[in-house]
Amino acid sequence: MRLLGMTLPLLVVLSLLNGCAEKEKFIVYGSTQNESEVEALIKEEDYVDRSTVIQYDDSMLVAVQIKPWEKWKKTKLEKKLQKKFEKKYPNKDVFVSADYKIFYEANKIKKDQMEDTKLSDKITELKELAKEET
Amino acid sequence: MEKEQYQQLEQNVTPKPPYLKNVAKAFFVGGFICAIGQAVSLFYIIFFNFTEATAGNPTVATVVFFSMILTGLGLYKRIGQFAGAGSAVPVTGFGNAVVSAAIEHRSEGLVLGVGGNLFKLAGSVVLFGVVSAFFVALIKYILVTIGVVSW
Repeated sequence: MRLLGMTLPLLVVLSLLNGCAEKEKFIVYGSTQNESEVEALIKEEDYVDRSTVIQYDDSMLVAVQIKPWEKWKKTKLEKKLQKKFEKKYPNKDVFVSADYKIFYEANKIKKDQMEDTKLSDKITELKELAKEET
Repeated sequence: MEKEQYQQLEQNVTPKPPYLKNVAKAFFVGGFICAIGQAVSLFYIIFFNFTEATAGNPTVATVVFFSMILTGLGLYKRIGQFAGAGSAVPVTGFGNAVVSAAIEHRSEGLVLGVGGNLFKLAGSVVLFGVVSAFFVALIKYILVTIGVVSW
């Protein structure tokens, strides 16, 4: 138990320090068309904490992280955002997800600078993964 | 000595349990167990193809496995002594209940001892879990059919 008393404050301090490093909160990757428009669209919604948007051809992967207290209504907000994007871009295949896995993978795509066929494959894979329920 | 007198005497003699201290201990140890669970969950999300929605099952299995090993090594009872409900209420308490019953009845044989008593305590957890899940699902189904809420 002594060990616990020593590690716990250390963990708290580490997590606090980690929070200080300001990260880029709204990222748009892929084709640069209407990049600022998409960013503004997401910034309008104040429940979104961080987001990464991947654009490729006609498909659009919108990965968002919702602010902690709003997470109770996660699925509802997800649907709301999906509708908003579909209305704005009717001829695009938009997919909105608030899942951490999708967000993590989207950031990985940006980090690895993934392109073309690999990118489109990854997007379809993530869409299928997000629908998985078991 | 009257019954009331005895009770009075008993209350004077019994030391007061440190409620606040116990609650704080349970809170922090329980929270620490949950933090480990969250770490396991993140591990599955990042290194395997699990989403936030699907990572729950393997996480529960892993955390129960951890507590089973700790019980077998005799460490979990020390945590239980220190934290009380903080170690019993999370799902780790379930693993502890199963394995400690198995160890306790080992001397009675493998079939009637271990097999028969394995779910002695955990059996009620499973039973009431299933029953309450059934009723919650039933109520939700009725509410959806009426149109009060949606899935």
